[in-house]
Amino acid sequence: MSMDKKKQVILSLKNISQSFVVKDEVKPAVENVSLDVYDNEFLVVLGPGHCGKTVLMNVIAGIEKPIEGQIFLKGEEIHGNDRRIGMVFQSLNLMPWRTVMGNVEFGLELAGMEKKKRRAIAQKYIDLVRLTGFEHSYPHELSGGMKQRVGIARAYTNNPEILIMDEPFGALDAQTRYAMEEEVLRIWKEEKRTVIFVTNNIEEAVFLADRVILLSNCPAKVKQVYDLSPLGRPRDLMDPEFLRFRTEISDNTDLAL
Amino acid sequence: MEKIMSKINTSNLSQAEIRERRLEILYKILPVISVLLLAGLWLLASRDFNAAVGSGFPTPTAVWDRTIRLFTRPVKKMNLIMHALVSLRRIGIALAFDWTFGIMFGILIGWFPKPRAFFSPLFDAFRAVPPLAWIPLITLWFGIGEFPKILIVIFGSLASIVVNVKAGLSAVDSMYLNVGTVFNATPTQTLLKIAIPSSLDAIFAGVRTSTSAAWMVVLAAEMLGADSGVGFLISRGMDSIDMPLVLTGMIAIGIVGAILAIVTQFIERLICPWTRKSK
Repeated sequence: MSMDKKKQVILSLKNISQSFVVKDEVKPAVENVSLDVYDNEFLVVLGPGHCGKTVLMNVIAGIEKPIEGQIFLKGEEIHGNDRRIGMVFQSLNLMPWRTVMGNVEFGLELAGMEKKKRRAIAQKYIDLVRLTGFEHSYPHELSGGMKQRVGIARAYTNNPEILIMDEPFGALDAQTRYAMEEEVLRIWKEEKRTVIFVTNNIEEAVFLADRVILLSNCPAKVKQVYDLSPLGRPRDLMDPEFLRFRTEISDNTDLAL
Repeated sequence: MEKIMSKINTSNLSQAEIRERRLEILYKILPVISVLLLAGLWLLASRDFNAAVGSGFPTPTAVWDRTIRLFTRPVKKMNLIMHALVSLRRIGIALAFDWTFGIMFGILIGWFPKPRAFFSPLFDAFRAVPPLAWIPLITLWFGIGEFPKILIVIFGSLASIVVNVKAGLSAVDSMYLNVGTVFNATPTQTLLKIAIPSSLDAIFAGVRTSTSAAWMVVLAAEMLGADSGVGFLISRGMDSIDMPLVLTGMIAIGIVGAILAIVTQFIERLICPWTRKSK
């Protein structure tokens, strides 16, 4: 029964293609990507360099319209942004004029929820990401890891069914990064959502993922899908099985240019 | 000096810290030196000129006496502070208009592409015309009362706020707008909760520059026909070859201008606490 539920497709991409414009030149960024995302899984999209991954996530989040392809959420085609899909941005995008609370409650405020109610919900997620006591701080007063926590809390507060995390830890130092990876798993366990996590770091991918979707270099195509469920959780970076997966994926990854 | 140095040495400071201390002291002394230097130059200039041409550049004491006399024997029944307040009232009314209409107009042409295309050429031409060029027309239409003066101040200060607000709103970072998209923000919410707050520092730059522009223009307007205000004091001094009065006016302008700059900066920090660097 639980196996069945795990394998339920929640999001489905069909033949997505998208391009971007550099100096008046149209370049393909994503080419014919089709993939299924299962309910409540931790899916990692792994790809080299800076090509295509963010574009693909922007397409799923409805920030960009794909030139080709369809997106199905629970079997229904969606066009543009859907409030059931939330996003933690690569560049954080916290609003410097809002406090931690102001940032976290932003989505609910836009949805027109009354102040008392939305504050209570926001507080729950501020507590969940362990930022209790920093509600009235401004983003510039926080460290890099704390800002990422705000970004995660902000996305969670809007109660999305699918949470996109676009290279959230790329700008962090190695130590903070390891800590935040553990944090993201803890949060995911406490508040189960379908997570689509983007990274270019193979170790991070193997540490976090139920499944890894490996993308090719420019334009991004699905190269291979790895099922990492045999690894179990929690994972040990030195475990031979872990290292085997890591090497296998590493050998298959395109060189970033 | 040696005493101070030995004191610092005994308190176990490293060489670098001592250097830093010295720099700190230097930065505190430098502005004082510049003011003293200015006063010294003034003394020197007024003395030499007095010997050569008789009455030319007034001495600091003459200016001081004239300032005091402005309180004991007011010009047009108003002392210096009252004249300054009259000028401030004029720019106050003009700025109230600038900051409401100017900010709204700046938002209109900064955020919405169609009004921008429509108004931009008109506005660019309008702001290229110096405010004083309007004086003949405005005098012809409205005479020489309060209203035409305020109008000239508006014409002279409106552009700087509109330009700043427009610049802020036409360059809202797309990363903030993306957040709005993901959270399904309506166009009104995007404008009110994302675009305008993210432009607040640009809007405040406009508030600051329009304030200083208004202060400059009001004095010019008053010099061309008024019976009150600091600008009037200066033109009165010029007409009656009363150079101490002219300098009194100039110093008052400088002091009030500096106070205005400090006040607007203070308000900005109050309203935009996130622009403070760090705790």
